[in-house]
Amino acid sequence: MPLRRLIITLALIVPFVALLAYGFFRDPRYIPSPLVGRQAPDFTLTLFTGEKVKLSDLRGKVVFINFWASWCPPCIAEAKELEATWQNMRQGDVVFLGIEIQDTETNGRAFVNQFGVTYPNGADSTGRIAIDFGVWGIPETFFVDPDGRIVYKHVGEIHGPIVTAKAAEARQRIITSKEGKGDYTSIR
Amino acid sequence: MSSVKLKKIGVRFLLTLLTLQLLTYSLPAAQPPDIEEQTRAIAAELRCPVCQNLSVADSPSELAQEMRALVKEQLEQGKSPEEIRKFFVSKYGDWVLLAPPAKGFGLVLWVLPAAGAVLGLLLVVFVTRRWVRRNKTDGTAATSSLSAQANVSPDSDNREFLQGERERIETEEKEIEFDFQSGKLSDADYAAMRRRLAGEAAAVGQKLMALPQPLAVHASPRRSTTEKKPHMPADRRGLKGWQLVTGAVFLLLLGLSLGALLMQATRQRSSAQDTITGGFLTGTSSGSPDALMAQGRASFEKRDWPQAIDAFKKVLAIDANHPEANAYMGLMLAQAGHTDGAITAFDRALAADPNAPVALWGKGMLLAQNGTDAAEARRLLEKVSSMMPPGQEKTEVENKIAELDKPGTVKNTAAPTKQSPAPAQTAAPAKQRPPAEAQAAGGAIQGVIDVDPKSKPAVDQKAVLFIIAKSTSGAGPPLAVKKIGHPKFPMSYSIGPEDVMMPGSLFSGKLFISARLAKDGNIGNKEPGNMAGEYKKNPVDVGAKRIDFQLEPLK
Repeated sequence: MPLRRLIITLALIVPFVALLAYGFFRDPRYIPSPLVGRQAPDFTLTLFTGEKVKLSDLRGKVVFINFWASWCPPCIAEAKELEATWQNMRQGDVVFLGIEIQDTETNGRAFVNQFGVTYPNGADSTGRIAIDFGVWGIPETFFVDPDGRIVYKHVGEIHGPIVTAKAAEARQRIITSKEGKGDYTSIR
Repeated sequence: MSSVKLKKIGVRFLLTLLTLQLLTYSLPAAQPPDIEEQTRAIAAELRCPVCQNLSVADSPSELAQEMRALVKEQLEQGKSPEEIRKFFVSKYGDWVLLAPPAKGFGLVLWVLPAAGAVLGLLLVVFVTRRWVRRNKTDGTAATSSLSAQANVSPDSDNREFLQGERERIETEEKEIEFDFQSGKLSDADYAAMRRRLAGEAAAVGQKLMALPQPLAVHASPRRSTTEKKPHMPADRRGLKGWQLVTGAVFLLLLGLSLGALLMQATRQRSSAQDTITGGFLTGTSSGSPDALMAQGRASFEKRDWPQAIDAFKKVLAIDANHPEANAYMGLMLAQAGHTDGAITAFDRALAADPNAPVALWGKGMLLAQNGTDAAEARRLLEKVSSMMPPGQEKTEVENKIAELDKPGTVKNTAAPTKQSPAPAQTAAPAKQRPPAEAQAAGGAIQGVIDVDPKSKPAVDQKAVLFIIAKSTSGAGPPLAVKKIGHPKFPMSYSIGPEDVMMPGSLFSGKLFISARLAKDGNIGNKEPGNMAGEYKKNPVDVGAKRIDFQLEPLK
């Protein structure tokens, strides 16, 4: 009788406590993206140089898309490393695209000059590209394979070795369903 | 007649209620919806991705504004609210809906409150019923319809019941005795009550006597607990031990976890990187970066390295790019001899804040000392010098810049890298410096280091000798280190201001002199063949001569 009662009491309490624990251990600001594995939304980006780039024109190439803002610390931290990675990869079939969001174009240009970024960059002044890609944190990085599918998403600061590895996987059209996370995941 | 009337009124009332409800439902549908209103309604259902628990309608953020514009645009294009919701779900997932769909894990949110309410109600009903039943039994006992009860129940039940009665009567006797003593009962009442109880007690006693044999053995009521039947209310004599313990443990755990979690959840956020839970749950520190920085700086000033490192590490856990924390880490790495690590830390600090003074100073001094990049060192030091108020520190920096211009410093270009096999050359230019400079800082300590004669054959030819001067005998980065490749023992040495690890620190006061011979050039390794030794009469004054000692194999 006491054992039965104990079991019933525990059966009621344990799932409840487990649910609470699950809630406390989760990062409530983390949003899993439904876009990975799906066709990347098309967009036309006007670069700081004045040229226009259309994503669908880049079929057949691996596209690295990085959403950033000049005020975001992890973006500052990754800027030089991304440029160095680009310098290593620019001869290949990988296209780097930087998209400045939630920021002014003047700040964006200053940022690009300050960190000597040479790969194509432009501002998404309306924020439509960011919404299309379901961006919630800055920086966020997407890899698009030669067929135009999003194969990997990384939230937060990204490092050179990951870029190289994920670009190689994208070339082979390998999808990584688990999103990558940088040291930073928050946005303010 | 009246009941028919009542029924009619009831039906009429219900009908009115229904019509009213129908009206309130159909009214908004009848008018063409206003686009602005609809936009607001849809936006209120969407969660703002860059805020914490704000809807797109309520958030002032740029992204939310853009999302509202998008909702409006799509409404104008003739899309239905459902289609618009689907659009946002396709981009952000179900997360974006403030009311999660009733499927998958979201179902829990919908079911749990209702299930909780139902379970709670059931519990209330169950408990109340038990109370009522218990009161009933007590009540019937009080009316002392003993014989009826006793006759209906089987023998064993009677016995239990009668024993309970006896106890009740005993308790009641004590109570009226107490009341009488304290003057609450009159003599007459007391006598009457006693008589009644005595009568009852006699009746119970008789009944008990009249019961069959086994009863006689256990006639003493209080000790017959082993005989209790399961359907006698278990809680009649209070809770059982296991119930009390389980309840207490549960309450304790609940209190502890609630307390801890609430404290964590409601504390002030120290930075943008501080998560909602924070602390021990996510591994981030709960101290504010400012307080930690102050603590770190204080420990740094006191040369309490472990404390300083700990504080700065905590700051970096909250904000990995904290300029000042990175700069201080750089200074400590430079002192510990990890030039590469120090430069990386300074670069990190400068990337976050190109004007971080400590980083500018540290990197400038380090580069100037190493002589690897005189131009960069010059640029950094000039920048920091322009930011400094006039004073001794500024003069020091200016002197360093002036020193960089001297042609002699170029010699240092090939200087102390880890495996540098040319200690003699490195030391040479230092010795050629004007003696005044050395004296100003206290002068070098000199002596001879030898190896224990028994271990001499064990000395590795490729080993590196580190001569270390520390301000304290404990752990922490040394004040000065001299590195000598391919040492030949006995080896005479001189360690002075030119060997100071952190640019700018003074080679002065009492110092602890020790040495380490590392086979692979890594001072921290404790592999066989490595040796260590220290001067027996430590600490010594700067400028002391004949500080001779021996190295012995590490255990």
